[in-house]
This record gives sequence, C-alpha cells and structure tokens, in this order.
Amino acid sequence: MRAVRIVFRSLVLLIVGSFFHYVLPQHDVAKITSTEVIRTDFSGFNRFFYAQADSGAAELSTRDLRLINTERRKTFLLGFIQRESEGVMVYRNEDSGWIWPPYFKFDSSDLQAEAAANISAPAAEQWVVITHYGWRNRFFSIYPNAVGIRPIEGPDVRIIPWFNIFFFGFLIVAYLFVRAAWRQFRERSLDPAMEKASNRWDEVEAGVSERRSRVRRWLDSWKGK
Amino acid sequence: MGFIKLVVIGFVALTIVYWSVSIYSRSVRREKLEKSWSADHPQSTDKAARDDYIAKGMADYDSGFRKKLIFLVYVVPVVTVSAILILTNTN
Repeated sequence: MRAVRIVFRSLVLLIVGSFFHYVLPQHDVAKITSTEVIRTDFSGFNRFFYAQADSGAAELSTRDLRLINTERRKTFLLGFIQRESEGVMVYRNEDSGWIWPPYFKFDSSDLQAEAAANISAPAAEQWVVITHYGWRNRFFSIYPNAVGIRPIEGPDVRIIPWFNIFFFGFLIVAYLFVRAAWRQFRERSLDPAMEKASNRWDEVEAGVSERRSRVRRWLDSWKGK
Repeated sequence: MGFIKLVVIGFVALTIVYWSVSIYSRSVRREKLEKSWSADHPQSTDKAARDDYIAKGMADYDSGFRKKLIFLVYVVPVVTVSAILILTNTN
C-alpha cells in the first residue's frame, strides 16, 4: 500500500512538474544565427504542442511557422547553472493568443523582425536573452515558443526569474488560503451539520431500541410463568 | 473570438473565487464576533442580546471597507493580464 502511494505521489509530482516546466517562462542566453519560415503540417499528435494561427487569421490544417535558429549556452539544473559549452536550439515564434498559455503574445511578426535585427555574425557576436516556454523534441518535431528577445553585452549575465518567483509565491499564498477556507468551512458548517445528523441518528437508534424493548416486554407477557 | 472567451471564462471563474472569498470572510468575521461576545460576557445566557450583538457587527462589516476589498479579486487579474499584455507586446 505504501509503495502504491509513493508511486502515485511521484507520478502526480512528475505531471505537475512537467506541466510547469512546459508553461512557465525560461530564459536562454543565445546567439541568433538565422530566422526562417517553414510550412508545417501538424499531426494529431504534435498539434497539441503548437499555438493557433496568428491572431486575426483563419485556422487551417497547414500553415507557415516562423522559426528562430540559435546557438545557445547550455545550462544545468533548469537553467540555474550556466555552462561554457554551446549547442544549437530552434525556437518557434507563434502568437499565443488570448487563452492558453496566458502570455497574450500577438507580436510574432515584430519579434521575428527583432530576431533578424539581432543576428550574430562570427566577426560581430551579438548575444541575446530569449524568453520562451515549451520544449524542443526532435521526435515529435516540437519547438519552444519564443516570447521575448533582449540584446545583451556578453554571455555572462545574471538572470533573475522574477515572474516565476512571484508565480510560486502566489501559488503558496493561494494554497494557504484554500486550506484556511476549507478548515473554516469544516469547523463552522460541516462539523455542526454532521453532529446534528449523528445526534438525530442516535435519537432514532434510541427510539428503535426502546420500541424493541416494548415489543420484547409484550412478547414476554405471553410466556408462561 | 478568443478575447470574448477569455472575458466570459474569466468572469465566471473570478465570480466563483469572489463568492468563496466573501463567504470565508463573513464566516471569519462572525466567528470573531462570537468569540469576543463570549470573552466579554462569559456568564451570559441572554441569547437575544448575543444575536443582537452579532447582527450589529455583521451589519458593520457589510457596510465597511474590508468587504469592498474583496473586489480586488476582479481588479488584480485584470491589471495582471493588462501588464503581461503590454510587457509581451512592446519592444
């Protein structure tokens, strides 16, 4: 039973953790090498990992997808520890729209122009911080969605994830509030109601046993003495 | 339209949050009043006076500023969404 509980809890933790890892913004230090547009035919499987068509445009099964090709600094520990080595990374650049995930991004074309304006050349290196959400997966052909690009002087920058700090702070506050509200509800509404019900039940039971004892007495009166 | 969907879903969700917060807040207030009554009148068996005291306290709460603060449940998300919207879409 304990093993089942541990497995269940780790599964929940894994799902919640990967959900946040997918949706929350992360910052990469990178050099943009080029931008491009490819036509994309989504499959039923990887459609889930793409946003909708540009805000204001019609949704078709096939459309063009803006990509930003980069060379980025590799990191350890979800980006908290920077490494010296570099690897290629490709970002998509799509409107996230009004609903999900709630980045309210409508400026994909502007961002593409910004990316093109900050292309790095071997002679003139231009580093940028790319804010993005999502995952790159070669087997499903999915890309993280770039949300913002900020040019920086050099690759050694300290990035403080303010949004994530506030978000998790808010999450803790929300959890504490829900817990307090539930306790209040249980103490003031649920427990009194349960007590009332159990009192009623006790009364009913007492009544039944009283009646039974009366029946028993009546039966007893028929027995021979 | 995505925007209309956001407004409708957001309004419904925030109304649920608003109701839960205000029910919780009323309940906490009532409990506080009950406790302060029994602290001030430990021997009292006058139920009418107690009910009166609590009703008066709840009326004060209903017309007070604290109750209006719960409207922040609507205000804060709208401000947050606007801030994200502006931050994401300006260069």
